[in-house]
Amino acid sequence: MKKALLTLTALTLLASAAQARTWDEIKKSGTVRIATEGAFPPFNLLKGNQLTGFEVDLANALAKGMGLKVQWVTQPFDNLLIGLNQDRYDFVIASHGITPERARAVDFSNPHYCTGGSIVSRVGGPKTAADLKGKTVAVQVGTTYLQNVQKVPGVGSVKTFPKDTDAQAALLAGRTDAWVGDKFTGLDLVKAQKGKLVQGDLLFNERIGMAVKKGNSSLLRELNAALTKAQQDGTYAKISNQYFGQDIRCR
Amino acid sequence: MTAQRTAPRQPPGGVNLLVWLVGAAAAFLLLFFVITLILRRIPDPIGPRADLFVQGARMTLQLTLVSGLIGLVIGILVGIARTSAVWLVRAPAGLFVWLVRGTPLLVQILFVYNALPPLLQSVGIRLELNEFWSAVIALALNVGAYNAEVIRAGILAIPRGQGEAARSLGLSGGQTMNTIILPQALRIVVPPLVNNLVALLKDSSLASSIALLELTLAGSRVSSETFLPIPVLTTVACVYLALTTVMTLFTDQLEKRVKIATR
Repeated sequence: MKKALLTLTALTLLASAAQARTWDEIKKSGTVRIATEGAFPPFNLLKGNQLTGFEVDLANALAKGMGLKVQWVTQPFDNLLIGLNQDRYDFVIASHGITPERARAVDFSNPHYCTGGSIVSRVGGPKTAADLKGKTVAVQVGTTYLQNVQKVPGVGSVKTFPKDTDAQAALLAGRTDAWVGDKFTGLDLVKAQKGKLVQGDLLFNERIGMAVKKGNSSLLRELNAALTKAQQDGTYAKISNQYFGQDIRCR
Repeated sequence: MTAQRTAPRQPPGGVNLLVWLVGAAAAFLLLFFVITLILRRIPDPIGPRADLFVQGARMTLQLTLVSGLIGLVIGILVGIARTSAVWLVRAPAGLFVWLVRGTPLLVQILFVYNALPPLLQSVGIRLELNEFWSAVIALALNVGAYNAEVIRAGILAIPRGQGEAARSLGLSGGQTMNTIILPQALRIVVPPLVNNLVALLKDSSLASSIALLELTLAGSRVSSETFLPIPVLTTVACVYLALTTVMTLFTDQLEKRVKIATR
């Protein structure tokens, strides 16, 4: 038993062996490797082989501002931060809400937008946190929505899906009473499903940031500088308006 | 048990099999008790979430037993149909095996979960398939197809002369199958059927893709919450290993019990 524990601890320590690429190394190579999920409309979405979305356009603009070419990597959401700590890419932009647990594992940039988790249900379904009593809710695995839904008193069962789009499909198929996810994604979903779904209350608010490997401060500094510059020179507002008809930066 | 040592070994009786079943059930209960105890003593991230892992392991075992039983019935029926002399019986069985063996299990699980209900609805059947039964249907059909081939091989392994002798003694085709061929064939096929059952237990991990909280999904929930894939995946693998080990201990016993002195 003791031996097994020792082995497990040793294995855990092995997890953080390699070194992240610093800003100088990235600058020298001329290409930044960015990871996202590609299944989270309208923020990052794969249309065929084409990555699009607000965050994709924003990251491309930031990289351009830093004078770098971009190499995109797509990964399942719950693998993104794990892969970041294994240096498979330089930073992640995939609508990660900034939470204390995540901040222990990675370093976050300044928030690149602010949002909240909203309830979406079929017409006549639950609309407030109190309505969720005894109901089944679909969420995506590894998200802040899962943690926040589990905090709702009396909530029935929570089903976790690998992709957010799978969780939405479960709601549409009548397998769950509600779906909890990003409020902008919810807006898009309600719009796309003309009249079938309604958006309810916000369960919580969150700040969304980009993640770099723990301790990669040189890259973090450059990212924050590029973001501030884009928010000042109108680049950010232009991209945001194109997707949402409003500026969604944190105020 | 209490039989005289000199007597030839009896073929397995009902009591004998019942003892075996009760033993297997007790062993799994004990295993879950032990797993819970061990996991609770492992430090963070495993210890505080030990119950989630055990809940997942229980679901994995349930999934395996239910779909394994249904799959065994499917396998026997389809396997016998595959050896039939009548083309009309043989063809659909062949088609079933061809379809199921030629497509990936993950696609089958997703198909039953996402595509089957709307398809059935369009022909007027309203069927509410929850995650568990979707996974059971897909897994049972899948393992059923593989079992069918095993059963067919077992039937073909019985020398032709036996069937011919039985027919010439005046037994009907059905009687020959039930009393001469199958009892011998089923003994031959126990090891490969066990193989399929162990594979099924591991394949049940694919049900994590339809939000069924089994062992693999329990693990990925923990690892995406704590960002510690190494201890989580190691734990998950060890629990799978414990499950398959206990399972094979008992299936080995079953093999011994159905064995009859060969010629």
